[in-house]
Amino acid sequence: MTATLTRERADVSPVDDISRLDWRVMDETASNDPRRDFEEQAIPFMDQLYAAAMRMTRNPADAADLVQETFVKAYAAWSTFSQGTNLKAWLYRILTNTYINIYRKRQREPYQGTIDELEDWQLGGAESTTSSSSRSAEAEAIDRMPASVVKDALQEVPEDFRLAVYLADVEGFSYQEIADIMKTPIGTVMSRLHRGRRMLREMLADYAAERGIAAAKTRSTK
Amino acid sequence: MSDCGCEKARRDLEEYLRNEVCRTGHSEIREHLENCESCKDEALVATTLTDVVARACKETAPEELRDQVFARLREAQAAH
Repeated sequence: MTATLTRERADVSPVDDISRLDWRVMDETASNDPRRDFEEQAIPFMDQLYAAAMRMTRNPADAADLVQETFVKAYAAWSTFSQGTNLKAWLYRILTNTYINIYRKRQREPYQGTIDELEDWQLGGAESTTSSSSRSAEAEAIDRMPASVVKDALQEVPEDFRLAVYLADVEGFSYQEIADIMKTPIGTVMSRLHRGRRMLREMLADYAAERGIAAAKTRSTK
Repeated sequence: MSDCGCEKARRDLEEYLRNEVCRTGHSEIREHLENCESCKDEALVATTLTDVVARACKETAPEELRDQVFARLREAQAAH
């Protein structure tokens, strides 16, 4: 027992030792191996983070890089994570920051920022003019939509809207959590989510209508 | 559609489905949905859209990525 302890401590610097002690004061479930803790707790989110990164960067190579950078940054900041709080939201915050800092600068999609300012009527509505019978058919058509079509449609949704939809619909984050991740007020989250979903729904309805999928023509005439 | 609570139900439907409305609002909308076919269908479209997006976006990280991440973490620890 004593021997094990001595051996484990032999390869850590005094500075490390102090940070580990602090760590343990904050949370007694943490072991004295931060890397192992990090691997056990954070790595299981890799598939989810990769899926989000795919929707952000739109290609596997960039998505892999983004996830790698996210984990490296998260590990570097691991001592600032307070155990017992929402680790998934914490990781998504780092992912989103990293994405914005690295990739968005590269891509520059100039018109996107202005969509927030458009009024609802300018974007048109999909829901209000649809009759009830065609609406249940619409649900059915959406349900049968191939995953590739849904992903392509999502990719067409402007970035901030797509991200809001993704965080809410795929990850099930609350409005408050999305607001924290995207660093925007809750009102903006709600409006991006509504508009993003409306765009998505219209695109899927168009797709269904083009393919002649029954009664799925729901586009509003506004 | 503009009488009987449809308007409020439609306006707050997304928030209702995500459990983001207060308790009073929640039960009002729930009651309305029980009695209104049209709003019920609208809710069905909304939840179906969520399900389909969630389903479509599932990904598995490539095995190489896992290895790369572990390697980077070991490096980071060694450099510390």
